[in-house]
Amino acid sequence: MTTQQSAAAGSLAGVRVLELSNSIGQWCGKLMADFGADVVKIEPPAGVAERQIGPFYKDVEDPNRSLYFWHYNTSKKSVTLDLTQEEGRELFRRLARTADVILETMPPGALAALGLGYESLAAENPGLIMCSLTDFGQEGPWAGYQMTDMLHLAAGGQMAACGYDEVDDPERRPIAPGGGNGYHMGAHYAYIATMAALYYRSVSGEGQHLDVSAHDSAALTTEMHVPNWIYTHQVVQRQTGRHAGVRPTAPSQIPTGDGRYVNMGGGLSSSFRAFVEVMAEAGQAGDLEDFKYLDPEVMQANTDHIRGQIAAFVKTVPAEVSFVAAQEIAGMPWGVVRAPDDLLEDVHFRERGFFIDVEHPELGETFTYPGAGAVFSATPQNIYRRAPLIGEDNADVLGSVGIDAARLAQLRAAGVV
Amino acid sequence: MTRPLEGLRVVDFTWVRAGPWAARWLALLGADVIKVEWPDPAIGGSTGRVVRDVPGMGSTPDGIPRSMNSDGHFNDMHAMKRSVTMNLRSPLGLDLAKKLISQADIVIENFSAGVLKSWGLSFPEMQALKPDIIYVSMAGYGHTGPRAHFQTMGPSVQALSGLTYISGVPDKPPAGWGWSYMDDTGGMYGAIGAMTALQHRTRTGEGQHVDLSQVAAAMTLLGPALIDLTVNGRGSRREGFPPGDRSVWPGTPKVNNYRGPICAPHNSYRALGGGHNDWVAIVCQTDAQWQKLKQAMGNPAWADARFDTLDGRLDHQEEMDEHIQAWAEHTEKYALTDMLQTAGVPAMAVQSSEDRVEHDPQLRARGMYEEASHPILGSWPIQHAPWQMSKTPTPVDRGAPICGEHNIEILCGMLGLTRDEVREGYANNTLWPKSVPVEPYLIEALETEKVG
Repeated sequence: MTTQQSAAAGSLAGVRVLELSNSIGQWCGKLMADFGADVVKIEPPAGVAERQIGPFYKDVEDPNRSLYFWHYNTSKKSVTLDLTQEEGRELFRRLARTADVILETMPPGALAALGLGYESLAAENPGLIMCSLTDFGQEGPWAGYQMTDMLHLAAGGQMAACGYDEVDDPERRPIAPGGGNGYHMGAHYAYIATMAALYYRSVSGEGQHLDVSAHDSAALTTEMHVPNWIYTHQVVQRQTGRHAGVRPTAPSQIPTGDGRYVNMGGGLSSSFRAFVEVMAEAGQAGDLEDFKYLDPEVMQANTDHIRGQIAAFVKTVPAEVSFVAAQEIAGMPWGVVRAPDDLLEDVHFRERGFFIDVEHPELGETFTYPGAGAVFSATPQNIYRRAPLIGEDNADVLGSVGIDAARLAQLRAAGVV
Repeated sequence: MTRPLEGLRVVDFTWVRAGPWAARWLALLGADVIKVEWPDPAIGGSTGRVVRDVPGMGSTPDGIPRSMNSDGHFNDMHAMKRSVTMNLRSPLGLDLAKKLISQADIVIENFSAGVLKSWGLSFPEMQALKPDIIYVSMAGYGHTGPRAHFQTMGPSVQALSGLTYISGVPDKPPAGWGWSYMDDTGGMYGAIGAMTALQHRTRTGEGQHVDLSQVAAAMTLLGPALIDLTVNGRGSRREGFPPGDRSVWPGTPKVNNYRGPICAPHNSYRALGGGHNDWVAIVCQTDAQWQKLKQAMGNPAWADARFDTLDGRLDHQEEMDEHIQAWAEHTEKYALTDMLQTAGVPAMAVQSSEDRVEHDPQLRARGMYEEASHPILGSWPIQHAPWQMSKTPTPVDRGAPICGEHNIEILCGMLGLTRDEVREGYANNTLWPKSVPVEPYLIEALETEKVG
């Protein structure tokens, strides 16, 4: 798939979003923009701090070359405004009159202190929806605490669940998984809340203020761990490459003949018999061909033995071989542990149009980006443009609220834009 | 009080976790989410209600007899929904499902690819019933592509997408994710798909099929790792990656590892107590924060000028972390958190589930675990929404439905069955499985409940 020219084909076409966001909310804004919303990112004149975060294009540090910024800001526009100056705030107010949604991640109260709080902006635009996505929400004993991606994974329960068996790490240290997922969780909830508010506005005409907490969101994202505690007062312990357990479970992430790993996820079902035939062809079926294992009770009673035998076979063959056999022949829900490096070659996801080629005209290059989780039959998610250069859309966007070229030059000279 | 999605109806064919979790949020937001169930243990208790009688399995609280209506997880996962029972493999059940769809806005399911189609509920068939229907499917590999028939569960989704690989420390196996992260976040993606398609329908009147792939959804969550590969050619099979709790693993190249700025300290440290979760995470993103940490530790002699710069802290990271560790282990994790945060140093206790429910003052202040009632279990803390909406509050004010709780109002009130037809359906395996005794409450409702 390649980028399209116009976001008019997207699900959120016609929705204008002002994004005043740091690392907490940029993923939410990206989803909106890739779904076709007109997302205008408001940045300070020097650009947002995220532009200083690596890795950088060819490892050359520059605010327009941050791959971190590129990834999280596709399809957005950039307008620079110095909100510490009254003229900057006035321009923000003008833009806010044209907005359906303001997505903001400032510390609680900071926007109101600038005279840009929800009440004052909504007075001029009653349908306005403001989504304030912050570390802890607008109030509460931790609302002023400083957070990072990893600290959310500590607070939210993710680190308590990820780590190693004692054999792999005697300390059984908690591990913070990577990829920036501490902030992804809050962004997903903020997106859903904002869409719900847009729907409600379509029915009632009313806008509203949404107070979304990244910490609450993370705390909701450990599957059964919280209900486990509430209903049975059990707490899980970390294990290598599989679910943390209230009691130890057998390994399911098995090293393979080619130095990788296969996750033999899921329990044991009778379909494992089909896989035994593959093992038998290699002369490695052990005793698993014994008819006694056809009896579901015998099978269940010998689960560890059977899985152990299967694992012994998995250790001798390449990961993709046992994975494909498990899936194609036995319908078992296994997965190869892939590195990000392995994904680009995946024919299935290529055919689904997952990878999107994005043009960077200022560099004369086109790069492949990850695309959409879902294929939409009518209004596909897309990447309409690479992330904006600092202030790239000042003339267009500010022009639409009455700032002509001469005025823009004055504002630029005054450091407002 | 109005909820934002009031007036919308969702037919919920989901099972296990990702699908139910997606539909749960639509229910909190006010949609009428009708969970279609068939509680037959012979097909694996596919509604998630039927829990094998194994010690430690399931989450029926002590003192409550174990039944299909006693599971705590289920209560939390299906809060605010309605429940109707029907056998979709019977002509009557299928006909009822079609009638439900014709009165719905959204259909959501997370079966393997091809299951709904095999029942005669493909997207075009649904469109014939309701031209503007939104259909969200949530199969692991999606409904299209050469491997659409592959089966997945949370752990395999995480493995296949690269998510497992990016969690761990160098020279050890992947630590991965200690739960089905992609059942939670796959659920989020399901709800995101539904809400996004709804926005398009509101504007244009057009429905659509949202063909979600859990693996593809997971592949979007690797941060910039993929474009570091496609742009710079830097793969993830490299020295020092993944970097554990560090920003950069000691002694390895100072490259960004996709979790924000490079910084040190950036690690977890054992706190007082020695328990499995007595750890605190500490991060200094600036030199100024390092100075504050140094001060909080009492300006120890070891913390000399070598550590004043980021480069110096990275060059001597092992030594620095050993000293911080030796200091941290004398103080309890919440005391460390409060002390360091007060001093201006980002820090946070590693919290277990118990910690979040019992000890986290912020979650308590936000009302995240206020109680909701359930017909059998009574009142229990339940997980609330992470948002507060100024005009349309969305509290969880009831837990999951008991199985078939809304049969009369749905089967008779909405779908036009007579009570006799329902009684017959309970007996002939179309509205209740033959292998399961008909619950007395179903009979009672049949005799007494008024219809709309």
